[in-house]
Amino acid sequence: MTLTIHQLTPVFAGKVSGVDLTQPLSRDAVTAIEAGMDRYAVLVFHDQKLTDAQQQVFSRNFGELEHTGGGNITKMTDRRLDPYMADVSNLDKDHRPLARDARTRMFNLGNRLWHSDSSFRAVPAKYSLLSGRIVVDQGGQTQFADMRAAYDALDKATKAEIEDLVCEHSLIYSRGTLGFTDLTDEERAMMRPVRQRLVRTHPVTGRKSLFLSSHIGTIVGWPMPEARAFIRDLAEHATRREFTYAHTWRQWDLVMWDNRQLMHRVTRFDDTQVRDMRRTTVAGDGLTVAQAA
Amino acid sequence: MTMAIQPLHAGFVGKVSGIDITRPLSRDEVASIEAGVDCYAVLVFHDQPLTDEQQCIFSQNFGELEVTLIGQLSKPEDRRLGDRLELGDISNLDARNQVRARDDEKRMYALANRLWHSDASFRAHGAGYTLLHARIVPSKGGNTEFADMRAAYDALDAATKAEIEDLVCEHSILFSREQIGFAVRDDGNADKLRPVRHRLVSIHPATGRKSLYLASHIGGIVGWPVPEARAFIRDLMEHATQPQFLYAHAWRTDDLVMWDNRTTMHRARRFDDLREVRDMRRTSIKGTGVAAVPVPVAAE
Repeated sequence: MTLTIHQLTPVFAGKVSGVDLTQPLSRDAVTAIEAGMDRYAVLVFHDQKLTDAQQQVFSRNFGELEHTGGGNITKMTDRRLDPYMADVSNLDKDHRPLARDARTRMFNLGNRLWHSDSSFRAVPAKYSLLSGRIVVDQGGQTQFADMRAAYDALDKATKAEIEDLVCEHSLIYSRGTLGFTDLTDEERAMMRPVRQRLVRTHPVTGRKSLFLSSHIGTIVGWPMPEARAFIRDLAEHATRREFTYAHTWRQWDLVMWDNRQLMHRVTRFDDTQVRDMRRTTVAGDGLTVAQAA
Repeated sequence: MTMAIQPLHAGFVGKVSGIDITRPLSRDEVASIEAGVDCYAVLVFHDQPLTDEQQCIFSQNFGELEVTLIGQLSKPEDRRLGDRLELGDISNLDARNQVRARDDEKRMYALANRLWHSDASFRAHGAGYTLLHARIVPSKGGNTEFADMRAAYDALDAATKAEIEDLVCEHSILFSREQIGFAVRDDGNADKLRPVRHRLVSIHPATGRKSLYLASHIGGIVGWPVPEARAFIRDLMEHATQPQFLYAHAWRTDDLVMWDNRTTMHRARRFDDLREVRDMRRTSIKGTGVAAVPVPVAAE
């Protein structure tokens, strides 16, 4: 069984075959997957019947796991899964679909906006790995947009203008966009904005990309409305169809992506049906820019 | 000279030639223009050196003029175009004809014109036609883009059409400004900021065609949790503004573009507004637009 990668769009995304992720991997297999990530930015593995423990073991091949604390309004005591598994489902602690007006559901609707995972953390995420445990048969796709291709396609004047811009990211902003502002003081403190460069350079390939996310609320030194209008224009450019790949889920798909090079979002589905997805996140290894004192 | 309309897309946007709109028009000419805008939703007239007075006279052929909200919200000494509240000042100039500073509050307010919208959808009667005339255009950028809400409606799948048929949205100028982080101050104008309700699917009174009545002024759908409504409206906006539904108008001085707010959305694109002047004057036709849905008292 040899690991092979088949490219899915003219721009990016690869489908991997010839590897069983439930088993310990050889160093060569890990190296091949990492090289694939650097090149394709998102990799799809079908038919991987992972347990939470196996998913964590596989994910640790690529670095330390990010703890889920600080990324959601769900209290640790109300969580369905262990603290290193992000719960990307529509279920409550008792595995029942959330009510239409449940606060957690309102919060999680923010995933329908284009974003990069944990861009609201001072050290943003490296990889995300999402396992499809129970999938819906209509909607609920995950769409990806290639921020390297989007950067490359900008005109020279725009590239020069944005080169040194720094954005402020917070969950307050992405949720505010959807009119979800019902946050406690404690939650607001947890979601304090962090700063990220708008243009990042990939540590391995040296390629530049746009570090965009709906968590962005402003650009340092700009009036907020001007910053938001500009970021919207950039996000619209960056999510043009030719830069995107839409993943239609099958049960036991594992999709992993590089948050340093992509944005992603989920599309609408009938969430009275169960959709149970579980994410592990590989932590990034540094700041993109010095934080405000 | 005979008036002719040349379509720029199939059934969307017509370029009008053979007419001088600075002079009084015959009843036939007015009827032809109305038929044209019903059919094409956007009409472009080149080389029309209109004065403010002439623009108002031409616009009045199509109904009574609407006063602008920003005019109503501004102090008299801050109005560049004087007492004529029905003439919208779509420029980056202050009352002394100087380019507005980067953090000028009127500039912040106007930046929301870069979001897709339908004029005055935040009023009980949204605008019918809008007429925008270019006096000074920047050397780069500042296009106005239009989206055909009839074609966008037609392209929805049957399930979505059924789902949205009876939905009612809440529109307010507050919501569009909030999207870009600008809080409009109340200042005793609460009545003008209060959300109004419009059906999401509207039917054009002349053609009978259905269209999506969308605008960034929408903040909610009646009966829906707000975040769910906003996420859904964003999806619909994205659908409705796909390249195949769009026309980008690159302005020349003395262009007049006239559009039907009941069948289109539009937005302005970025330009170097701290260094270049863009001076456009807008008139809108009152009360012939989409009518608000009465708010049942019991539901409040």
